[in-house]
Amino acid sequence: MIVAERLSLLLAELLREDPRRVLVGEDVRDGGMVGLSRAALVEPALAARLVATPLIPSAQVAHAAGLAMAGRRPILIVASATALLDGYVALRELARVRGCAGGERSGAVVILAPVGPGFGLGGDGAESPEAVIAALVGLRVLCVGDAEEAAAYVRGAASFDAGEGPTVVLLPRSLLLAECAEDRALGRPLGAARVVREGAEATVFAWGGALAPALAAIEASGREVALVDVGGLAPIDEAAVVAAAGRSGKVVIAHPGGAGPLAAEIAAMVADQAILHLDAPVLRVSGREGPLTYPDEAAALPSVESIAAALARVILY
Amino acid sequence: MEQSPWDPEGVEVGLDPAGRLVDAAWQGLLARVDPRALYKRMLAARHLDEHLARVAPPMWAPAAGEEAVSVAVALLAADDEWIYPGLRDLAIAAIRGMDLAELAKQALGAAYNGRPGAISATELAVAHVPEALGVHLGMAVGHAQAHKLDGCGRAVVALFGEGLTTTGSFHEAIAAAVVGDLPVVFVCKSQLWPEGAPAEAGLLGDSVTERLRACGLWARRCDGADVIGVARSLELALQRARDGRGPSLVEVVVTPLHAPQVPSHRDPLERLRRYLEATEQWSPTFVAAIEAEIEGQLGRAFTLAAGGA
Repeated sequence: MIVAERLSLLLAELLREDPRRVLVGEDVRDGGMVGLSRAALVEPALAARLVATPLIPSAQVAHAAGLAMAGRRPILIVASATALLDGYVALRELARVRGCAGGERSGAVVILAPVGPGFGLGGDGAESPEAVIAALVGLRVLCVGDAEEAAAYVRGAASFDAGEGPTVVLLPRSLLLAECAEDRALGRPLGAARVVREGAEATVFAWGGALAPALAAIEASGREVALVDVGGLAPIDEAAVVAAAGRSGKVVIAHPGGAGPLAAEIAAMVADQAILHLDAPVLRVSGREGPLTYPDEAAALPSVESIAAALARVILY
Repeated sequence: MEQSPWDPEGVEVGLDPAGRLVDAAWQGLLARVDPRALYKRMLAARHLDEHLARVAPPMWAPAAGEEAVSVAVALLAADDEWIYPGLRDLAIAAIRGMDLAELAKQALGAAYNGRPGAISATELAVAHVPEALGVHLGMAVGHAQAHKLDGCGRAVVALFGEGLTTTGSFHEAIAAAVVGDLPVVFVCKSQLWPEGAPAEAGLLGDSVTERLRACGLWARRCDGADVIGVARSLELALQRARDGRGPSLVEVVVTPLHAPQVPSHRDPLERLRRYLEATEQWSPTFVAAIEAEIEGQLGRAFTLAAGGA
């Protein structure tokens, strides 16, 4: 079963468990983006809670915000994370409704958004606008880093047990079509960083689609290098990032898209709180800046070679 | 009564400029909504506006002349029917029972969510006013979607000015409401001679009603100087929404009373006063009594909010 199919089953489960939940999106009554609403669609008891809206991102986000004001728990499926840039004005409002209107009534919105390359679309379908989305105050932004954790991320984000605010779950396209043999529980708080592997010679921080090339580069290097899946992009798990940087003293940040502020933020955290442990410059490795055509959309992710080169530089520094 | 450039055409009329009820059939509405209570609330809204004028919070604009809208919406929407107001609809929360000191505090920007000129009273089903233009319309439509899912026969009301009708968010909200056939009532306050508006703002035509009829919406245009006409149109729109007959628009042509040479019959208070006088429900004592009560309460609230004793 691929991740998208697994998530489709999970969304049907979530609707069944809580009658407040509603699935919102342009084509949710027609299977939804990559079939995410397909499992719910065939259950007559759930079909009423599939709310199809016009394909207008700002209207969709405002729609979800209004549903939440009425006590519903909408899960909005957008076609692409870049659609949230079209809907930025409403996303910004969603992020601050709780602060303005008082109460937790308005917070329980989950937005599922495919991000980065993986479908061979190029253009917007290869872009990684997570830094722009994470810049909104009041929004929780998570990026799935492992196919087997995708379901745990979405389930966790939809629970709102601790009164969390509206949440964007970024689903890397390269993972959505990946096989997923089994679900893995997170075993850590949602949004906490995950140590993928330990290693004393250097630490690579990565998220989303950049984790795979980072792991490949580490394995090819034959060195003892740690890999950390950042996971939570807003807020970033600062304590875990600082601790992991301090353990090796040599840091490489590999991320999707062009050089951006999230990697700069991680570098600043490390410089601020782990400077005495650092033994090399902090390096950032990014993908190529867009727009990219569909044949070369994979260049939106950092290459194995560029991550390997950065690792060699910090290790031999 | 002489026609003035401020008088709109093609509107539903309840009270004519002399304050006469044009259609006896509307007596039914007046049996449900006491005209003296309407007058008192409109007077309170006017005084609230005067208090704010003295402080003039940033981005604040006077609402004198628009009282009929706030009062009709606040009185006719049920307690559990949400209202998504605009910045000039502060009186709605006050009429719904918001603590006046809290209202003054929020309006002056001294409360926790302090943005001067804006308030929110979610416990009274009055939403906040987003700073981004028109996002509240989309939220109101989403809220109405929840009501439709619940099948609860409740309406949602969203207020805005005609300046917003050139924005994308306005058309997006209309599209979503029509597509979903949702129980939302859009209330548009139109000015015939909008202040400070560029000439091209009028290119879409004067009548928002006609534009939205073309979108398939049930739409009524009425006169903001005529609170009975406004209340009647709004009542019909709310009933449609509650009966599951879909979204609607009530366009209210309002006159900014601070503009030069506005004739007195354009003032909703004066027009209702004429009606009350003609039907022997008005007296100087009545006005003196309610004015003293309103001023006492508002004066205390604004003194408290400004940090006074």
